[in-house]
Amino acid sequence: MKHARVLFKGLELDVTVEESFATTGLLKSKSDGQLIDQAEVTWLSPVKDPGTIFALGLNYADHARELAFEPPKEPLVFLKGANTLTGHKQNAYRPDNIKFQHYECELVAVIGKEGKNISRENAMDHIAGYTLCNDFAIRDYLENYYRPNLRVKSRDSLLPMGPWIIDKDDVGDISNLRVTTHVNGELTQDGNTADIIFDVPFLVEYLSKIMTLKPGDMIATGTPEGLKDMQPGDKVVCEIEKIGALETHIVSEREFYADKY
Amino acid sequence: MTNNPVVKGKLVCVALNDSKQFDAMQDAFNNAPYKSAPTQPVLYFKPHNTWSVDGAEVEWAITDGQPAQSMVVGASFAVVFDRECCRVSEEQALESVGGYALVHDFSLPEVSYYRPDIKGKCLDGSAPISAAVVVSAVTDPQALSVITQVNGETVSEMPLSQMVRSVAQLISTISYIMTLQAGDVIAIGFPGERASIEQGDSVSSAIAGVTQLNNTVGRA
Repeated sequence: MKHARVLFKGLELDVTVEESFATTGLLKSKSDGQLIDQAEVTWLSPVKDPGTIFALGLNYADHARELAFEPPKEPLVFLKGANTLTGHKQNAYRPDNIKFQHYECELVAVIGKEGKNISRENAMDHIAGYTLCNDFAIRDYLENYYRPNLRVKSRDSLLPMGPWIIDKDDVGDISNLRVTTHVNGELTQDGNTADIIFDVPFLVEYLSKIMTLKPGDMIATGTPEGLKDMQPGDKVVCEIEKIGALETHIVSEREFYADKY
Repeated sequence: MTNNPVVKGKLVCVALNDSKQFDAMQDAFNNAPYKSAPTQPVLYFKPHNTWSVDGAEVEWAITDGQPAQSMVVGASFAVVFDRECCRVSEEQALESVGGYALVHDFSLPEVSYYRPDIKGKCLDGSAPISAAVVVSAVTDPQALSVITQVNGETVSEMPLSQMVRSVAQLISTISYIMTLQAGDVIAIGFPGERASIEQGDSVSSAIAGVTQLNNTVGRA
């Protein structure tokens, strides 16, 4: 089952995605069973009460090579604020006066059950399902303090997520999923979760040794190689096999903030 | 782990905002891994599992299955937002602040600022936040001073005037990175020299006449 959150006629709705979605575009309201055409909704990020958002840096063997890093011996984990979240087919902005903003297509594991000191063997019991995100970065803003710093990674709208959460059991094995990004229709990133260095069970064990994981926490597992600059007007589609495809429209800072600019 | 009635959304902390520490670290800043001094505020999150309250006992950290060798604490003046704060100037910065509070940041010692310090900073219950006082009770936050005592002995006194960046400057800068919402909290700056603590210690911080925060340290 796929679970999404949408705005429909001004109301926030929890919906499931119909089996026929690919051809019919139909969603079903969880509260009253009403069928809704996706053309009439605004997609929201799929985690209703977002908890801690963990993201991984340099977690694909190929991407670490691309950035000329030794693959890390320990996961490089950073946190993101919920202000970064937005949904499928929404706008994300390019800050003014920067040279390099890139997408990062990432598999996201959503925690469904609280736990501390969870063993690798039990880790999957604590996962509710998966979604994907586009963990944008502004490389101009990197500084060597708590790198990647919040100015790079915790900006409004720069973590589109969705379109939905798919139940863990509907996906099965996540260790061999194709990960792609298309910019304006052109394939620019093409990797596979097989290249992930620290996998989801490892990360659940690692993080839960440090802290309690709670439902609504999310772990974004890093991105493969293939970085490219983004410009306003670009359409970016991140896709992970069996999970879904997440579309984002890049706009200027002025367009995004409108009257708050 | 205790829910805190003050913080609802995010708790942003500012590191390296004590000008004494900042000045003392200039040589370190110019060497690896930093290579140059920070040009921007150095920020980190204390996530929701860390939030706790006045009076709470803070767990002694366990690292690699063993009680941590040492822990430290710092106290910070904090602003609590009561409405959205997006891209505000320094002059407007305090308009969206509804209250002031104290935050204790219990952590492993700050040995490096190079990578996000998840192991050191994300311990359960490690960010107690005091009750918030209404802004109108304070005329000028920059004139305040945060005093921290461990077992009744003063270990630090941090006048807000000693900070690299002021309360208003930080709110403005951060509001251009991330929109702040009602229930978000920014801990503006901690003493550069964090106080060492032992199991069983009591840690009390106060801003004279404004608010205080008392915690005890648990035993492993």
